[in-house]
Formats: sequence, structure tokens, C-alpha cells
Amino acid sequence: MLGKLDWSAIPFDQPIPLVAGAVVLVAILGVLTWVVVKGHLPYLWSEWITSVDHKRIGVMYILLASVMLLRGGSDAIMMRIQQAVAYQSQGYLPPEHYNQIFSAHGTIMIFFVAMPFVIGLMNLIVPLQLGVRDVAFPTLNSVGFWLTATGALLVNLSLVVGEFARTGWLAFPPLSELSYSPGVGVDYYAWSLQISGVGTLVAGINLVTTVLKLRTKGMNYLRMPMFCWTTLASNLLIVAAFPILTATLAMLLLDRYLGFHFFTNEAGGNVMMFMNLIWAWGHPEVYILVLPAFGIFSEVVSTFSGKGLFGYRSMVLATMAICVISFMVWLHHFFTMGAGPDVNAIFGIASMIIAVPTGVKIYNWLFTMYGGRIRFATPMLWAVGFMVTFIVGGLTGVLLAVPPADFMLHNSMFLVAHFHNVIIGGVLFGAFAGFEYWFPKAFGFRLDERWGKLAFWFTFLGFFITFIPLYIAGMLGMTRRMQHYDVAAWRPWMIVAAIGMAVLTIGVICQIVQLVVSIRNREALRDRTGDPWDGRSLEWATSSPPPVFNFAFNPDVRGEDAYWDMKVHAQQQSLERDRPEYQDIEMPRNSPTGFVCAFFATIMGFALIWHIWWMVILGGLGAFATFVVFAWRDHDEYVIPAEEVAAIDRVNLEERRGLISMAGAV
Amino acid sequence: MSDQSHARSDHDLAPGEEEQHSVGTRILGYVVGLVLALLLTATSFFIAGTDLVWQPSIPVALIVLAIAQMGVHLVFFLHITTGPDNTNNVLALAFGLLVVFLVVGGTVWIMAHLNANMPPMDQIMRMQ
Repeated sequence: MLGKLDWSAIPFDQPIPLVAGAVVLVAILGVLTWVVVKGHLPYLWSEWITSVDHKRIGVMYILLASVMLLRGGSDAIMMRIQQAVAYQSQGYLPPEHYNQIFSAHGTIMIFFVAMPFVIGLMNLIVPLQLGVRDVAFPTLNSVGFWLTATGALLVNLSLVVGEFARTGWLAFPPLSELSYSPGVGVDYYAWSLQISGVGTLVAGINLVTTVLKLRTKGMNYLRMPMFCWTTLASNLLIVAAFPILTATLAMLLLDRYLGFHFFTNEAGGNVMMFMNLIWAWGHPEVYILVLPAFGIFSEVVSTFSGKGLFGYRSMVLATMAICVISFMVWLHHFFTMGAGPDVNAIFGIASMIIAVPTGVKIYNWLFTMYGGRIRFATPMLWAVGFMVTFIVGGLTGVLLAVPPADFMLHNSMFLVAHFHNVIIGGVLFGAFAGFEYWFPKAFGFRLDERWGKLAFWFTFLGFFITFIPLYIAGMLGMTRRMQHYDVAAWRPWMIVAAIGMAVLTIGVICQIVQLVVSIRNREALRDRTGDPWDGRSLEWATSSPPPVFNFAFNPDVRGEDAYWDMKVHAQQQSLERDRPEYQDIEMPRNSPTGFVCAFFATIMGFALIWHIWWMVILGGLGAFATFVVFAWRDHDEYVIPAEEVAAIDRVNLEERRGLISMAGAV
Repeated sequence: MSDQSHARSDHDLAPGEEEQHSVGTRILGYVVGLVLALLLTATSFFIAGTDLVWQPSIPVALIVLAIAQMGVHLVFFLHITTGPDNTNNVLALAFGLLVVFLVVGGTVWIMAHLNANMPPMDQIMRMQ
């Protein structure tokens, strides 16, 4: 009846996951009770859960990423403590638990923190920057988000029901095959990634279509803000690369569920093919994450230097070059597997070449700052911090791209330090910069600068105190994923890294305090003009938060830096005098399709993991029925009458008038 | 230049939202596509089992027929043309082909080298 599921799945003998699970459960129940008692449930349902508004979905993506960042961060703290204490002892985490923790840490940080954070920011901002009212497929957007949330839910469920994979974040066979991992851990891993992978693919298709097909009048390709370009490149990579991940995991699942032999040791399976395929997805994935971050830095650096982006066209070219070359370097993840000098040399050189367009970007940002009137607001601090950190990470990357050096450093702590250096220094700093920069746009009030700067400095310093020792430990021969070790020379570095982790944690706490303080002081921090940073692109041309239809009139773009151009020429004023008639606006209706689909997908995923076949059929049928109901809907749009549009827009224009006349005087 | 490219992108069409031809023309297109696709499929099955042609040429013939089949699908069902109203679709197709070429070609190359460098099985057994 319940497949492999019984009471032995709950780890009653392990206090850590059980207590953590209980605390989370109590917290969730507490929040739910509060929501129901306060009567917020109808609001939550109609305004958020069923929302197809790209801004709301973007915010929910970022919320999911933030919550999962805390989960993945807790894993990181536990690992750092374990390695600090586990010198000639077992530490406090038994091996099978430690292995689950590092696997969960990697999986969560990439798939459920970095991905939703950047997709959330793209969702929130790209339609605004393009000057349009929504993404190309609003309901599909909601489906994509909720499927990602399903994956995150399943990964966290593994904490208390069953176990998570002990195989590392990419579940290499033969360890991940049934003979070596008979438990449900790898199944949790694979099914949550399959389901959230569908969500990511859907988001990718949606954003590619949005950038290609929905641009406001005059917004041709070479007038798009840099963030739109990097969004296009990143989502092209999603569309091209995620099917590889899905196919590879599907083959692994066929091995595990139906006795196939794609990646087994026996019966003609080839383990090396898994490494090859997973990295053919895995390397583009790195650029899927970091390209949007590059876009965010371009926007931030340009805005806070008060100058247009230096070398805009070279930036576009560099972005698209990275987009293509990122598909030619994947072998550098397994130089040591023995492909021989020809293959290693070609892929090594390709890996070094991809550093060139990245270097072009760094110089473009530096030249944008050169001669500019720089304001060191929090987003700008993250951007400058990124440039310093990312150059260190990039240089160690070029070092690892040299095959002989890689033979020494492969799977060492040096590698661990390198990829954290680029992912934290690149993606996470970018996500934080975007969060600080666009928060006023999303919510209508700025974030507290003092706590923001504290958060930056603690995170920045904490990062280096944590990861520089890991570089050194790697040079001293320490390999990754060690539950305990007996080499005295590594010990001091592990202790320093643990101290660094404490500093990083203070940074995260500052970030949370910043949010709380800002919400409490929101009246003082209110952004009435819609343009708190003296911005340059179209998202600042509408109010904060933007109305559901984003723009009362689709803006007319005359050049790069569309909004800056309008401010300089004070077009807005002349536009006001001969203001054309407001018109009715049609917007897509909210739809519970995404939520209901994901509900059934969760049931189906859980049932597949535990081999509860009737429940698999139930979940599958439910999801399909939801789709059919949606496909046969009669009304998909509602109309906002012209008077309402006018009323909303006039409030914003009043607030903005002062600012525009100021900019016009410059 | 940029103004032109914008004017063109206004007319650019996604697959499925083709310009309004008369129903008859459109049905004719699909019927021609269907007939060609069926013809190519039938030929493939025929060639696979026949001894009318030189045996080693059969795999090559099948590959050629498969590529022709893809072409028929792209032109008649997905409406990929080389016209100016189709820039995005052609570019997307080119990007897709490039990625498939890189991943499949790279994989074949890498796996061939890995297999060639793998010590024979009895040698591995002796090492253990």
C-alpha cells in the first residue's frame, strides 16, 4: 500500500535532523496558523499563490531562494564545525550523516538558492526594463515557480522522511547506482531535480520568448539594458543545457528503477558517460548562474557611477561569446579521467579562452567607474566587492584550466575554494547587489543603508577568512568531503575557516536585521518617485511598486539608457502636456494552475521516491487534469478600465514631477 | 541600421503564428508535408530490409533519409523558412544545431579517447 515507506523512514535515532525538522515544522505551522487566524489566507491565495504577475512571481522566487539559503547555510556551518573538530577523531557528525549534509548543501545551494534567486530577479525586472506589461507566458511562469518550489519541498522532506543522497551534489555512479546506494536518498535527489528542472526549463523558454518577442516601441536589441542581454544569454543556455540534465538523470533513474545498465559497472554500462553528460550540462549551468549576475553588476556600476556603461557593444559581444564557448569547456571538470593529452589540451585552452570575454567585462566595469561620480551605496559595495573577489576566483580558475596543474589539485580543497570563490563572489554577491538595488522597486521602500553596509563588510571579510585557508589546505594536499583527517598541518586552517564561517554568519544575520529594520522604518524609507537611485533604465520610469500593468503607456525608447534619456530631455513633461487619452488595459487573469499542478507533482514525486505506484498514477492524472482544465478555460484576461489606469498613473506623475524638473535642469 | 532591425522584428513570427494564408493553402502545405514524411518513413523501412542496394551503403542511406525527414518537419510543420520574417527561428535553429553538434561531437570524441586509454580489463584485474 505505501511502497517502501514505513516508520523506519523517520530517523528517531538521529537527534540533529529530527530536532531541525521539528523546529521547521513548528515554524511552518506557526506561520500558517497566524495567516489563517489573522484572515490573510484569501489575500495570500488571490494575490500571491495564484498570481500570474511577473513581479509577484519574481518576489516568490527570491523568497524561496532566501529561505533555502538559510537551509544550505546551516549545512555549511555544520560542515565547517565538523572539519574544525574532526582532527584524529570522528567529530560530532557520523559519516553517513556528514555525507548527506555535503550532498544536500551543494544541491540546495545551486538548484534552490542560486537558480531561483537569479530567475526571480530576471522575472521581476526584465519585463520592466523592456517596457512591457508582462512576460510572454504568464501562467506558465507560475507553473515554473511552483514546480521549483516542489523540488525544494522534496529535498527538505528528505530531512525527516527517509534520507538524502550521500553521493555528492552530482550523484556520480557507480556510487549512486542501486547496488551502492540502495536507500531512497538518490531517488529524493533525482526526482526533486527532475521536477524542478521542468520548472527551470519552463522559466527559460518564457524569458527567452519575452526578450525576443515583447519589447516596447523603439527597444531594439542594441538598446536593451545589459541585464536583458545577459538574461537572454542565460536563458538560451537553460533551454539548451537543461534537457541534458533531464536526460542524464532519467537514464540514472532507469538504471535504478527498471534495471537498465546505462551507468553500471556491469553489463556494458559506462560510468564515464555519466560524468561526460552531467558536465555537458554542468558547465553551461555555471554560466547560467553568473551571466545574470554580470548583468546586475553592469546595471549597478553604471547607475552608481552616473555614466552609461562603457563599451556596451563589446559587453554584448562578450556575453554572447561566453554563451557559445560555455558549451566547449566541460571536459575540464574531468581532466583526470584519462582522456589523454589531445583532448585535455583542447579543452584546457578553451577554458582559458573563456576567461577573455570575462576579462573584457571586468575592464568595461572599471572604465565605467573611471571618471564617474561614484556613490558607494550598498549595491555598489557588492559590485566592487564582486570585482575583487571574482578576479581571485577567476585566476584560480585559469590555473585549474591547465591540465597538469589540475592533476595536482583535482578534487582538493583548492577546487572547493575556487568554485566557492566564483559562485559566492560572483553569483551570490550579484544576487545581493540586485536584491538591494531593486528592493525599492519591488516594495516601494529602500533598505536600511547602515545594516546593508554592515552585512556587506561581514560577508566580504568572512568570505576571505573562510576560503583563503581552504586554498592553502588544498595546496597542502587536503581532499574535499573529508569527514575526519589525521594530518596536523591542516588543522589550523580548518579552525580559521570555521572562524570565517562565523563572520559570514554575522553577515547573514545583518542581512536579516536589515530587512526587519527596513520594514519597521518603511514610512521613512518610502520611495515616492519610483526612481530612488537616479536610475537609467525603464524599470525606474514607473512607480515603486509598479502597478499591476507596469506602464500606463508603453514607453517610447529613443536610445540606450532609455529612462536617463527621457530625464535629460525631460520628455516626460512635454508628454504630460499633450497627454494622450488613457485606454483600457487587458491583463492576464490569475490562475491556480501552477499551484495545483505543483501540488500533484509533489504527490507524484513523493510516491515515485517511495515506490507507491497508485499514488504516482493519482498525482500524474491530477496534474494532467489541471492542465486540461486550464487549456479549456473561457476567460483568460480581465480589463482594467481607463479611469482606473488614469487614477493610478496620476498619483505617480504627481510624485515624480519634482524629480523630473530637477533632472531636466541638469 | 538599428531602426531597420526593429521594423523587421515586428514582423518576426514565432512557430505556430504564421501569417494568415487561406485555409486551403495551409491545408495543402500540411498534406504535402505529411505525404513527404510518410514517403521518407516508408523508404527507410524498405531500405533497412532490402538487398537491392549495396549492403554497406544502407546505414549512410538511413542517415540521409533521417536528415531529410528532419528537414521536411522543419519546413512543413514548424514553418522554418529563410524569409526575413523568420530571423529568430532560423537563429534559434542554428544555435540548437551548434549545441547539438558540440555536445554530440565532443562526447563521441571524448569517449573514444577515454576508451582508447582505458587499460584492458585483465590488466585492471591484475592491478587489484
